[in-house]
Amino acid sequence: MSTVISAQNVRKRFGDHEVLRGISVDLAEHEVVCLIGASGSGKSTLLRCLNLLETIDEGDIVFRGQSLTDARIDPNLVRRHISIVFQAFNLFPHLSVLDNVMLGPVRALGRPRDEVKAEAMQLLERIGLAQRALEFPDRLSGGQQQRVAIVRSLAMKPDVLLLDEVTSALDPTLVGEVLDLLTDLARGGTTMLIATHEMNFARNVADRVIFLHDGEIVESGTPQQIFDQPRDAATAAFLSRVN
Amino acid sequence: MRGLKSLTSLAAGSALVLSGLVASTSSATATTTIAQCQASFKSGHLPLVSAGKLTVASDINNGLYQPWFGANGNPSTGKGYESALAYAIAKDLGITSKNVKWTAEAFDSSFAPGSKNFDFDINEISVTTDRAQVVDFSNSYYNVQQSIVALKTNAIVKHHSATELKNYTYGDQIGTTGLDYINNHIKPTKQVHVYNTLDEAVAALTAGQVDAIVVDTPTGQYMAAAQIVDSKNKPLATQVGQFPSTGEHYGLLFQKGNTLVGCVNAAIADLTTKGTIKSLQSQYLGIYTKVPKLTPIQP
Amino acid sequence: MGRRAAVASSLSSALIVGLVVWFFWRAPNGANVRHFFLDPHSFWINLTGDPSRSLFSILRCFETNVWMFMLCEVLVLIFGLGLAWLRLSRTPILAPLRVASAIYTDVFRGIPIILVLFAVGYGVPGMQAGWISQRTPITYACATLVITYSAYVAEVYRAGMNSVPNGQVMAAKSLGLSDVQTMRRVILPQAIRNVIPPLLNDFISLQKDTALVGTLGIVEANQAAHVFGSMEFNYTGYTVAALLFLALTIPMTRYTDHLIAKDRRRRLAGGAA
Repeated sequence: MSTVISAQNVRKRFGDHEVLRGISVDLAEHEVVCLIGASGSGKSTLLRCLNLLETIDEGDIVFRGQSLTDARIDPNLVRRHISIVFQAFNLFPHLSVLDNVMLGPVRALGRPRDEVKAEAMQLLERIGLAQRALEFPDRLSGGQQQRVAIVRSLAMKPDVLLLDEVTSALDPTLVGEVLDLLTDLARGGTTMLIATHEMNFARNVADRVIFLHDGEIVESGTPQQIFDQPRDAATAAFLSRVN
Repeated sequence: MRGLKSLTSLAAGSALVLSGLVASTSSATATTTIAQCQASFKSGHLPLVSAGKLTVASDINNGLYQPWFGANGNPSTGKGYESALAYAIAKDLGITSKNVKWTAEAFDSSFAPGSKNFDFDINEISVTTDRAQVVDFSNSYYNVQQSIVALKTNAIVKHHSATELKNYTYGDQIGTTGLDYINNHIKPTKQVHVYNTLDEAVAALTAGQVDAIVVDTPTGQYMAAAQIVDSKNKPLATQVGQFPSTGEHYGLLFQKGNTLVGCVNAAIADLTTKGTIKSLQSQYLGIYTKVPKLTPIQP
Repeated sequence: MGRRAAVASSLSSALIVGLVVWFFWRAPNGANVRHFFLDPHSFWINLTGDPSRSLFSILRCFETNVWMFMLCEVLVLIFGLGLAWLRLSRTPILAPLRVASAIYTDVFRGIPIILVLFAVGYGVPGMQAGWISQRTPITYACATLVITYSAYVAEVYRAGMNSVPNGQVMAAKSLGLSDVQTMRRVILPQAIRNVIPPLLNDFISLQKDTALVGTLGIVEANQAAHVFGSMEFNYTGYTVAALLFLALTIPMTRYTDHLIAKDRRRRLAGGAA
């Protein structure tokens, strides 16, 4: 399997606080990797660095063999290939659901509206919201909004989908519908790096689980290995707290 | 300073009397003759504030200026148009020069209502209906004419026939006789620019925003000679010419109801007949009378 | 809010209006004041004008205020946006312009407009610097209004842009939108919606400040009323001008409120667009 994106010894500081302390991680084509760890362990920061929403202080990020720390790289072009979904959805409140989904492909990629619209409707159909395409986001439930946000990223046909605790802001009854969509995407072969607190989901869906602690990768392995036989004491302590 | 005083007079009056509105302000004029007046002075019946003496007021404390008074600002020299005229009127009534007394009266308070401690005030005061409500005025001793002031470089300096005058952009202060003159006599084809103060109109003229402004001849003479100058005090403007009088005039100012105004009018009429006023004007007011004459299209 | 409440509010309004009118009518010098400000004959002359007495038609003069306002409003919207954009830009190359824009807004929000009017209206032509010094007073007046109001409006825009959550920018960027596209498609539509009421306030001020340009000799509605007042000792002209200004500003206020309400309904109802 070819590597799509990799972080190589990435370090990131906010002021005096070093949030990422030499992280190295590879993501292969069609691979689903879950990042677990306590709040503040650096999961979100790592995702934002991969998406170039944050600049890194040391190390490198390589996308399909190309270094993204090269000053000549246009971050806007990179982000068309590496899409991120946020905890707070961040749908555009002034645009209809359909326009939210169409904005990226039409404006950033410059694709024809008709073609994009047909695809967007298909995506909305897939999450059961086609009939609400013309409504505004604030008319939807949190779970529906987050699914629209995921579909908005998918409409860009990204090489990698980064998901930043996408169920953390949701009412517990609405978490399931979002996880079902992600499970569906995983089965369909979407390459994903998922920061999550949903351990059962990670166990069932992930090809690989990475445990982050204080900005370092403490342990990485298959779900069975991480969840059933954690090698590191910190991993065990974390898992016993969340389970 | 002459110009500044005139500015005050324009501003204070707010609405200067329009052409033809000013009538004689005394009822006694028609019948009084100068001979009767001389007789009543001799018999001590002439109503004077100080018996046997003519008490004349002017703005002595704020300075008196040429050509209305002498060079030293002393009114009792008989030099300057207004000083000379005051003595001429006294002499005509039979009052000797040593019995002419001068007293100070500020310009702004002169046309306020109330009792006056002078027989008359002579201070380039324009006669307006407003002022005539609270004080009395003699007949005209100087007819004020409106004149055009423009930058020396402006086309209007050379081209100012009645029809050509219509084609310029004029500016003037709000509520002035000059503005009224532009609208009613020149009738320009372009919208007149109306400024809140004369200083603003002058600024616009200097900046080339308007071609010309219309002000009375004495004010215009001061503007062109001393007010609109470059950084080396060299005059930038010129007085292009003056229009025929439309009735605005200076008058001697009296306390309301003072019957002396009849005899003073008789003296003015007598001095006019004898040619004294004309010769005094040509002697002292040459800088005004020599301004070229302009003709607007009559309405 | 039932029928009783409606009746109560109408009654109290009627009472207050009645009291004001009564006071105005019965004040010791009320008749004089009414003559001074509301004389019917003067009212008519002020509307129609009387060239033989050098009196202007305030209605005609008000056209100057209206087109000045409309032209300036468009220019202010454009320049203000440019200033706000510069000020919020993060591109290093634009840093000097960012500082210049900050200084500009501080300076022109801080100077009374009448002083700017003097400086531009008399200073620029006085320089005799060719073309730029040979414009008409009304051009300098418009320039002044645009210069000053752009500074106000830039701050309004900036507040509106800052009110858009950072997550919106993140989301736009993660879709690969360029900075310009992010501004145009995501930030501005939300920012402008948030700032329509304060923008409207600035525009009402702008409309009213067209009455200041009489300083440059332009005979607009207020200056025409001033001419009437100084010739006739009657201020009815100012009342006429005030009513004309109200006739312009009140519909604008109502219309904008209507737009805001319509937008809110559309978003709540969803889907009609």
